[in-house]
Amino acid sequence: MLTRTINQSKIMLVIGMMILIGQRIGQIIVDKPVTPIGQAIPGILAVLFVCIISLKIKEMLPNLKFPAFAWATLIALILSMPFMPTAKLFLQYTNNVNFLATTTPILAFAGISVGNKIDQLKKISWKLVIISIAVFIGTYFGSALVAQTILKMQGII
Amino acid sequence: MEKKRLTEDELIETKNRSSIFTKLYVSVLFIVIICEFIGIKKIAVGPGQIVLLPMLYAVIIGMVITPDLLGKPVKALKALISDEVMDLAGTLVMFALLPLGVKYGTLVGPNIVKVVQAGPAFLLQELGNLGTVFIGLPLALALGLRREAVGATVSICREPTLGVIGERYGINSPEGTGVLGTYMMGTVFGTIFFGLLASFAASTGIHPLALAMASGMGSGSMMTAASSSLAETVPAMKDTILAYAATSNMLTGVTGLYSVVFIALPLSNYLYKKLAPKFDKKGGHVDAN
Repeated sequence: MLTRTINQSKIMLVIGMMILIGQRIGQIIVDKPVTPIGQAIPGILAVLFVCIISLKIKEMLPNLKFPAFAWATLIALILSMPFMPTAKLFLQYTNNVNFLATTTPILAFAGISVGNKIDQLKKISWKLVIISIAVFIGTYFGSALVAQTILKMQGII
Repeated sequence: MEKKRLTEDELIETKNRSSIFTKLYVSVLFIVIICEFIGIKKIAVGPGQIVLLPMLYAVIIGMVITPDLLGKPVKALKALISDEVMDLAGTLVMFALLPLGVKYGTLVGPNIVKVVQAGPAFLLQELGNLGTVFIGLPLALALGLRREAVGATVSICREPTLGVIGERYGINSPEGTGVLGTYMMGTVFGTIFFGLLASFAASTGIHPLALAMASGMGSGSMMTAASSSLAETVPAMKDTILAYAATSNMLTGVTGLYSVVFIALPLSNYLYKKLAPKFDKKGGHVDAN
């Protein structure tokens, strides 16, 4: 349990560092004011702390099939609701971590991880390729059209 | 040939495996730096625009440097990205997603009142995911697939669906072949596809908030690709778009499995019974090749 937590923390720290490096480069490229290191580091530590907690909650509730990603969202959501006393401080810290900067490392890992699946993919027939595209479009626009109708009926849009 | 599969605890153990970690971290950091240097690119296409985000380059570069592609001609890459490195990368995706999960939470929290007001739309749009069956199944049958069609089109086929179909029919069954096909396509091309589709969808006349809800399909990375490119296309609504997408994705995480078991799969089997004979009469080949 302790070794696992240490290993998990090490991974999270490296990922946090990658996010900060990516964020800094991204800000310099578009000439945005860069987040000072003194603010970025407490920001990422606050984020990483919630990440570790969500991993632990998931381990404590293995029968509930709720992924750690969803726990992370839920915890951060609760901490940042307007009527929560934690909201102001938590948002002030986490705002120092740029949203898009957190996405680039994920997809870099994801890209590398599918590398050994490319040969498997070649075995899939062209028919399944066309069908999967129809499936992607079907789920996206299916949901969008239902949402559009209901939001209109509610007068939200 | 059968490789011993490591447990997650063994995979994340750094003892004796530090070279694997170093190789992976160096590669990922290198990709991140390149992608952030390229930055966000917006390309006007007809009435809409396509937004290219650093994450899109990241998934492409990541794939390209693996042994099956650039690793073949470039021996140094083959040594860098070994099978062990790819296995570890697969596990670390889950960890890398967590900070993003936190960021999504901080977007939903302050907007919680707006999100609750839109509650009915959030719940009902989950039914829109059945669009996979209505569009995909007839197309699959028309292309000559039979039972494979049920597996391939029952949903967007992320892990929960893989589990359901695998348990019910076996992963080596025709249904299993179908579900694996869509799953693999989604894993490899899902983020690229939805990143491009969502930035362009804003020009279809569907409201950005409806599109934001549609981005929550039960895959963290696909939702991220779809909602962030939509948010870059409609920057004025950025926070609400990301908040809606994250909420919808959380809901799909909760309802997705049940909707496949109780709604999508029975519906798919019903439609199959009705439609398959019609396609058989036309005399197509009954195979998936």
